Amino acid sequence: MLRATGVSRSYGDERVFRDLTIDVDAGEVVAVIGPSGVGKTTLLRTLALSLEPDEGTVTLDGTDAWAVDESARLALRRRVGMVFQEASLFGGSVARNVEYGLRVRRSWSERIASLFRLSGAADAVHESLEVVGLADKTDQPADSLSGGEAQRVSFARALAYDPDALLLDEPTSDLDPRNTAVIEEAIGEAKARGIGVVVATHDMHQAERVADRVAVLLDDGITEIGPTEEIFDDPADERTRKFISGELVY
Amino acid sequence: MPLEPVAQLAPALLDSGAGPAASLLGASFREGYVGSIIAVSLYVSLTAVALSTLVSVPAAVAIGLAEFPGKGFVKSVVNTGMGFPSVVVGLVVLFAVSNQGPLGSLELIFTREAMIMSQFVLATPPITAISLAAVSGVDDGVRDAARVLGGTRIDVALVVIKEAKYGIATAVLAGFGRAVSEVGSVLIVGGNITSADGISKTRTLTTAIQLEARQGRYETAMVLGAVLVALVLTVNAIVVRFGDRGVA
Repeated sequence: MLRATGVSRSYGDERVFRDLTIDVDAGEVVAVIGPSGVGKTTLLRTLALSLEPDEGTVTLDGTDAWAVDESARLALRRRVGMVFQEASLFGGSVARNVEYGLRVRRSWSERIASLFRLSGAADAVHESLEVVGLADKTDQPADSLSGGEAQRVSFARALAYDPDALLLDEPTSDLDPRNTAVIEEAIGEAKARGIGVVVATHDMHQAERVADRVAVLLDDGITEIGPTEEIFDDPADERTRKFISGELVY
Repeated sequence: MPLEPVAQLAPALLDSGAGPAASLLGASFREGYVGSIIAVSLYVSLTAVALSTLVSVPAAVAIGLAEFPGKGFVKSVVNTGMGFPSVVVGLVVLFAVSNQGPLGSLELIFTREAMIMSQFVLATPPITAISLAAVSGVDDGVRDAARVLGGTRIDVALVVIKEAKYGIATAVLAGFGRAVSEVGSVLIVGGNITSADGISKTRTLTTAIQLEARQGRYETAMVLGAVLVALVLTVNAIVVRFGDRGVA
């Protein structure tokens, strides 16, 4: 479904990764593990079609996102959701935040009408907030939420418009165990809905808990990608084995 | 110095520019002199600030969101504009609208429209600069979120404007403050004129204060000054109230 093939990306003279290939299918969870600063966020932004790769292709259901015009790319981008490490909620109520992705997909006349009411989106907003256990916070100001609640709203915001793929960048790195568990349950719910999920994490236990496949991103590329059990129990690559066992320290 | 009620100051204001028609003005002052000055001040300043806001805020958002070579230089130019001497702006506008100027055919000299032009030029740099600072202060994460959630460039800009609304409101207030308190340029391009019946044509609160003070009528000048301060406070309160209501 969502696939990056042979992608490379640099910032100025600094190469982040090169010749990297990764894919996720509908209803599958792929975890990208690796040390901090290795390029997991850049990879996710590339998959989210926010960053153009220097080389390689990113395709969604076979359509090369960077070979089409901007409006077609926007249509592709709107089939992908992303949750950042920081919740980055907008001002206004929780409902307004969760409704955002739905609102920008409407016509301008519908959007003006929605300034005064949550027209037609109330069910989707409520349903998404239920997934993260915050259905009772709909009308609460977003800036009054705790960090964990804000991150859960951020997840609901991306889930509300029912994307084909959902990209999660260290979604639980700042959260307590309770909020972490809620997010991991929500990942399971997204998978059950047929959404392909890519979650970047440095928490290998979390990758083991939620992922069907694991990609190990070390240095400037993926050293290995495969079924979760295989990566953790019997890695083929020596660097993967050392990283997972803790012998390879960054 | 005790302040007299404005109505009792009529004699002091009657000969403040009306000339030979002064004898006709006893009732006119009470009926409309001060009111007409306030009306002209508000009309000129609010129109100039509204037009400037329409230009400045989109410009600030465009500059703030875009990455281009020379962005720092553009910001410096905008900031420098906040220090434009108002008298020089008045001179430039006077030249533009004079008979020999490029806008001479429009016959704008000594009109409210010319005053709006000069106040527009004066209000635009502070509104742009302060809005730009507010827009630049919006968390990058918010912009990224708006984009990855499917927003177009316009959607992202709208989110940024909403997040920066208090800073933008401050910018508009600063622009209004500069416009309504301006003396030099409106005096040059407006001429501080009242009609024969004493009603202001291009006289504003500031130019009236300047005239009264110069002629030694300090009580009158101070009352008009108090009116000016009250106006600024009222507009400030309205804008702040408007900003608070926009939170939800």
